[in-house]
Amino acid sequence: MNNSIFLLAQNTENFWRKLPGQGLVIWVIIGLLLGIALLFAFTQVPSNLRRWIIVGFTFFAGLPYVLAYLWPKPIGADLQNDIPRNMSEQIGFTINQAIDPVGKITNVLQAFLLGVGIFSLVRVHLTKVRRKSENWGFSTVLLVCFALMTTVGFMDWRQRKFMDDNGLLNEPANWGFFQYANDLLFEGMYQQMDSAMFSMIAFFILSAAYRAFRIRSVEATVMMASALILMLNLMGALTYAWGTGIENLVVQTGNPFFMNFKLNVMADWLRSTMQIPAIRAIDFGVFLGALAMGLRLWLGLEKGGVSS
Amino acid sequence: MTFWDKMQKVDRRILYVILVVFVCTGLFIPVKIPVEPDPSSKDFYATVMAIPEGSTVLVQTDWTNSTRGESMGHFENLMRLLMSKKLKFVFYSAADPVAPQVARTVITRINAERKADGLYVYQIGKDYLDLGYFANAEATNTNMGTDLRQAWANRTSKVPEGGEIDIFKTDVLKDIRKIGDCKMMVVVTASASIDIAIQRLANKVPITAMVTGVTGPGVLPFYQSGQVKGIAIGLKGVYDTEYLMANGINIKDGEAKPKVTWAKNSSVDKVAEGKTFARGNQYYGTLHVALVLLILAVILGNVGMFMSRRAARKGGE
Repeated sequence: MNNSIFLLAQNTENFWRKLPGQGLVIWVIIGLLLGIALLFAFTQVPSNLRRWIIVGFTFFAGLPYVLAYLWPKPIGADLQNDIPRNMSEQIGFTINQAIDPVGKITNVLQAFLLGVGIFSLVRVHLTKVRRKSENWGFSTVLLVCFALMTTVGFMDWRQRKFMDDNGLLNEPANWGFFQYANDLLFEGMYQQMDSAMFSMIAFFILSAAYRAFRIRSVEATVMMASALILMLNLMGALTYAWGTGIENLVVQTGNPFFMNFKLNVMADWLRSTMQIPAIRAIDFGVFLGALAMGLRLWLGLEKGGVSS
Repeated sequence: MTFWDKMQKVDRRILYVILVVFVCTGLFIPVKIPVEPDPSSKDFYATVMAIPEGSTVLVQTDWTNSTRGESMGHFENLMRLLMSKKLKFVFYSAADPVAPQVARTVITRINAERKADGLYVYQIGKDYLDLGYFANAEATNTNMGTDLRQAWANRTSKVPEGGEIDIFKTDVLKDIRKIGDCKMMVVVTASASIDIAIQRLANKVPITAMVTGVTGPGVLPFYQSGQVKGIAIGLKGVYDTEYLMANGINIKDGEAKPKVTWAKNSSVDKVAEGKTFARGNQYYGTLHVALVLLILAVILGNVGMFMSRRAARKGGE
């Protein structure tokens, strides 16, 4: 019984969401035509008006999030399934229903940006290859790898999605050419190179520890002592042996004060009393700054960037 | 030039060779080291183990192989935990387009491991769902918090019987109406995507995290405030989880004293089935070696500096 209620809840139509069917197709076509018309119109807008268009879009995109937070709502209200009792609740419900489409639009925009990035990358490197600019060989490698990975990845996805209803391709024994090729390129090469790149940090850390971490002041000494305790605490074997020694000492002396000198106790104290408050203080400042910056961007007060 | 002056100018390639030799040697000698798991790891384990069998858990997997030393161990442990507890899960990424594929590979491997052990194999569409990548973490998490059914509307999944159906008609999500109906959300990440999830969802669903050593300190304030119920941090967190899976909390198991004690909780069972010690156990010895090397490097570097200065002062006199 409950399940059917839940499924019904998913299928409610509202101002922002149309149900699948003939009407939806018409809305999609209207949306598409409007989008194309809007894009064309934007290209015709005089440059002195473009700032106001961007400011306007930014404001209206941010508005549902701000209103949804500030608009009063009944305690414990289910904003998706309850029926509003008055105008105030109706407005609150509509605002909250708007969050989903606005969020989806930003998701689409973000995905679109990925596409723009790929387009830009390919264009830059194609130009380099065509003009045989410096290091054009590397650009060729990039373009070939890009084409190969895209083709193989797409074909593998297509076969898994549309030609493998029973999930046979999840078993390597049933793989074909594209599954093996994708595995070689993605798991065998790309992923390993990703790991290799990141692992190089270890070399820099060791080199820096040897050459740059110098005790030249009281602050540096305190920092090093704290770091030493935290690093030693990561070594389970040492922490365990040290802790056992301390526990034996407590049994022998009968003084529980020594328990404070267990490595994990000292490390916990450093973390909860020193590190966390410091991070919280930094976060507090950062988020206040982010709030101020967010407000400036939302209200179009920020100079420079896309709105200049 | 004194010995210490030479030490100050040692070729960095020598340091690199020492690092490679010691770290690689450690990888071939996995040792089960007794540990005292961090309180945050114990909280993580206790929170997962408290979820009733058959419940649904959200898994936001935002890591890729660049941090697999830590994150892959975390994700493998999470999968073993969820599968041994017979919990259903939905996984997706809100930070990296590559992340879902990396997660798929791990799930396939853990399933193969379970099949070899004669255990139940998790099936897509019945026991778990793969929702892929969402391009904008902020909007995605906000939408999930506002209305999960709208946020994931019209998405389909393959099912064991063949074909695809709406994800909200699958066994995994059929009883889920809002995000609060999921018993837990786990974020496996090496980035600030955990912050975004906490900011938008911490008051709607219990959140736990499995993060890298670098990301961990940034999440600790949220753990202290109770917005995150438990965290496994870094490689130590991977090993802690494995140790807890093998030994439980306050479980005597025929011995005079439990291997892991905790005043906060009466007892938490060890996992009922499957592998416990795995990647964390394999890498933990290496972490010891690497940390010893790091500490030695700092000490030697500083001793060298002091000795060089002293020699220079004596030379000046």
